[in-house]
Amino acid sequence: MNDYILETQNLGLRYGAFAALGSVDLKIRKGTIHTVIGPNGAGKTTLFHCLTGERTPSSGSIRFAGKDLTRQPPHKRVATGMSRSFQITSLFQNLSVRENLRLAAQGRDGLAALAFWYSDSQRQQHLQKADEILERVKLTALANTCAGDLSHGQQRVLEVGMSLCGDPELLLLDEPTSGMGIDDIPIMTDLISELGKQHTVMLIEHNMRLVMSISDQITVMHQGNILVEGEPDQVRGDERVKKAYLGESGS
Amino acid sequence: MSLYLFQALNGIGLGMIYFLISVGLTIIFGLLNFVNFAHGAYYLLGSYLAFTIVSLSGNFWLALLLAPIVVAALAWVTEKTLIQRAYHLPHTFHILITLGIALIIQELSISIWGPIGKTVAAPPSLAGVIQLGDFFYPKYRLFVIAFTAVIALALWFLLERTRFGALVRAGSEDAQTVSLLGTHIHKLFALTFALGVGLAGLAGVLAAPIRGVHPFIGPEVLGLAFVVVVIGGMGSFVGALVGGITVGLVQSMMTTLWPQGASLMIYGAMAIVILMKPYGLFGRA
Amino acid sequence: MNTTSKTSIYKGITPAALIAVIVMPMVLPSTTLATEILIFALAALGCNLLLGYTGLLSFGQGIFFGGGAYAASLSMIHLNFGLLSALLCAMIVGALLAALVGALAIRRTGIYFVMLTLAFSQMAYFLAYTLSDWTGGDNGLLDVPRPALEIFGIQLADLTSSQAFYGFVAALFMLIFIFARRVIHSPFGSTLVAIRENEGRASAIGFSTSHFKLLAFVISGAITGIAGALYAMLLNFAPLSNIELMMSENILIMTIIGGTGSLLGSLLGAGTIVMLGDILSSIWPRWMIILGIALIAVVLFMPAGLWGGIESLMKRFRESKTSEPDPKLQQEAKS
Repeated sequence: MNDYILETQNLGLRYGAFAALGSVDLKIRKGTIHTVIGPNGAGKTTLFHCLTGERTPSSGSIRFAGKDLTRQPPHKRVATGMSRSFQITSLFQNLSVRENLRLAAQGRDGLAALAFWYSDSQRQQHLQKADEILERVKLTALANTCAGDLSHGQQRVLEVGMSLCGDPELLLLDEPTSGMGIDDIPIMTDLISELGKQHTVMLIEHNMRLVMSISDQITVMHQGNILVEGEPDQVRGDERVKKAYLGESGS
Repeated sequence: MSLYLFQALNGIGLGMIYFLISVGLTIIFGLLNFVNFAHGAYYLLGSYLAFTIVSLSGNFWLALLLAPIVVAALAWVTEKTLIQRAYHLPHTFHILITLGIALIIQELSISIWGPIGKTVAAPPSLAGVIQLGDFFYPKYRLFVIAFTAVIALALWFLLERTRFGALVRAGSEDAQTVSLLGTHIHKLFALTFALGVGLAGLAGVLAAPIRGVHPFIGPEVLGLAFVVVVIGGMGSFVGALVGGITVGLVQSMMTTLWPQGASLMIYGAMAIVILMKPYGLFGRA
Repeated sequence: MNTTSKTSIYKGITPAALIAVIVMPMVLPSTTLATEILIFALAALGCNLLLGYTGLLSFGQGIFFGGGAYAASLSMIHLNFGLLSALLCAMIVGALLAALVGALAIRRTGIYFVMLTLAFSQMAYFLAYTLSDWTGGDNGLLDVPRPALEIFGIQLADLTSSQAFYGFVAALFMLIFIFARRVIHSPFGSTLVAIRENEGRASAIGFSTSHFKLLAFVISGAITGIAGALYAMLLNFAPLSNIELMMSENILIMTIIGGTGSLLGSLLGAGTIVMLGDILSSIWPRWMIILGIALIAVVLFMPAGLWGGIESLMKRFRESKTSEPDPKLQQEAKS
C-alpha cells in the first residue's frame, strides 16, 4: 500500500504536433499541500484540466485513491472524493451564499438528487454541511447575501468553500488568489493552510509568497513536463527553476 | 430526361434564392454573433414591397432595385433602435426579440396587404419560355439563376477583396480584433445587419414571380434558411451556397413525389448535422 | 426566485392560484374561455419548468401538446379509453416524446440546442401531416369525445356541460400546480436552478447535468401532453395546428410574458394572452402585433414578466406602508 492519493503516469495531451503536456508523472502524497508552479504556457492548466476531467489526456493514466479515472467525466470524480475550484470565479451568482454551499453539498449525492417528490429542506445534512462550511470559511454573516453581491475576495473564498462541501479527500484549487487584492491574500493563505490539516490539497498558484509559505511539496513545470520537484527550500535554490522563469521574462 | 433537367434547374434556382436568404443570416451570425429569427419576415416584406412597386409603376426592375434597399433601410433602423441593445445578451434573448419583430412585421403586412396571397408578374422581357431543341424552360427562372450567380460573385468579392469584407471576416473569427475599431464598430454592425437583411429582401423580390406572396411564408422561409445555415456551417459563405442548392434540389426533386417527405428529410438532415458535426459541413470549430 | 428552504408548497402562490381558478368562471364572459386559459396555463407551466427553471428554450412544446392531443383522441376513438385512461395515455406519450426530443437536443447547448428542438418540431409537424390516416392531416382529427369522469366503472361526473368540464380541468390544474411546486422545491428542482445559473459549476460539484435536463424535459412533456389532451376534449377536435411551430411559439410567448421563474406567472401569461385574443380578435384581427411588442418589451425591460412586475409593485406598496426603508441599507443591497 502506498501513501500517494493521486498518481499520474506518463500523462500527456497533444493537439496535433503540439504537446501541451509531454509526459508527466505526478505523485501527490496524502495529507500534504502540493503546489504546481511554472512560467506561463508550462502546462499547469492543462495538467489541472486533465485531473478534473475537463480534458481527456491523449496518453497515460490518472489513478486516484487506487482507482483509474483517466476517462471519467468531471461530475463523477466528485463522488470518488475529488473536488475543484475555478480560476475564474464560477458561482451561482443569483443564489444566496448558503444556497451555493447547500447545492455543492447536494452534488455529492449524484443522481440521488434527481428526486423531485420531496422538499430539499428535508435533506438536513446538506443544510448542516452548508452551515458548517460557512463557519469554516467565515462567511456566516453573509449567508443570505446573493453570491453576486459579495466582494471579489469573498467570492474567491466562497469559490474554495464550495469545493469543500462534497467532503473531498483531495482538493484541486486553480489559482485561488487569482484577481485578489493584496490585502485579501493573507485570508486565503490562512484558509488553505487550515484546509491542509484535513484534506490533501493540490493547487496551481502564481503568488510565490503564498506558495513558499504553505506548500509541503512543489512541482515546477516547464514546457509541458516536470522540471524540478521538491520541498520549498530545494526549489527556491534550484538554478534550473531560475532559468526557466528568467527565460520567460527575458523573451 | 428533360423532366429531370427541368426539375434540376428548378432546384438550382430555388437553391440560389435560399442561398441569398441564408448568406444574409450567416453573415449576421458570423460577425454580430446575433441570431435573427426575423429574417423570414424581412423576406416577406421584400416580396410585398415588390408587389406594391410593380403594381404602382408596372416596372419589375424598379422593384428589384428599390425593394431590397427599402428592406435594408428598415433593418438599419431596427438595428439602431432595438437590435443594438441585445448584442450583449444571450442568444435566447436574440431569438425572442426577433421573434417579436417577425410577428409585428407579419401582422403589419397582413393589415396593409390583406390576408390573401398576391401574385407578381415577371417582367415582360422575361415572360414566356426559352426553347433548346425540344426542351422548354421559363426565361424568368433562368434569369434568377444567372442574376443570383452574379450577386453571389459580387458578395464573394465584397467579403474577400474589400476592407469591409476583411473587417467582417476578422470579426467573425475574433471579436477582439474588431473591438479595436472603437466607435466604428457600431457602424460596421449596423451596415452588416442591413446588408444581411437586405439580401433576404432581395430574395423575396426574386421569388415573388415564381412562388407568389403569402402572408404566412415567413416562418417557413426562416426554417429553411436555418437548415441551410446549419448544414453549411454557421458563418460560412461556401456552406450557404452548397447548403442552399442542396436543399433547393431536394425540394424540387421531391415536389412531384412526396413534398412533405422533402421537408422531413431536410429537417432530419439538419438534426443529424447538428448532432454529428455541430459546426456544419463547411464551418470552423 | 431564490429557493428558500422553508417554502411550503401549499402556501403563498398556491392559494392565490386557487382563488384565481374559483373567480375566473364568475368574471369571464364564458366558462369555455376560462377552461382554455387553464389548459394553456398548464402548457405554459410545462414550458416554464424548462425555460424558467432550467434555462432551456425549447421549440418542441408543440410536439408534446399535439402528441398528447392525438394520443388521447386516438385512444378514446379507437380503443374506447375512458377520461382518466386517455389522460394517462396522453401524459405517457407526452413524456416519451419529450424523452426522445430531450435526449437528443441536450447533447448540444445554446443556439444548437434551440435549432435541434426547432428541427424536431418541424419534423413532427410534417409527420403528422403525412400520417393523415391517423391524424386527419390538414383537416384535423374530428369527433373527439369528452367521456364522463369514471373510476372503476363508477360514474362520478358527467362532463358534457362546460361548467362541469371546467370543474374537472380546474381540479386537475390545481393538482398539477401543486405537483410542479413540489418539483421546484425538491433537490431536483434546486439542481435545475443551479444548472440554469451555471452549468459548468453544477457539473463540477457533482451533478450529471444531462440526467437532470432530461428529467426536466420528461416532466415538462408529461404536463404539456395532458394540456393537449384536455384541449382536444374541450374542442371535440384535434387540429393539426396543435403540433405546428406556431403552437410552440405561442406557449413560449405566454410563459415569457407571464413571467419565467414563477409558476403563477404561467397562469397570468396564459390568462392575459388567451383573453386578449378572445376579446380583440373579433374587433381587430391583427391584435398579435401587441404580442410582438409585448414580447420585445418584456425581454428587454421586464425580464421577470408580468408577474415579476406585480411582485415588485406589491413589495413597494408593502414597504411604503410599514416604514420608510433605510436608504443606506438599500444602497448596500444594490451594490
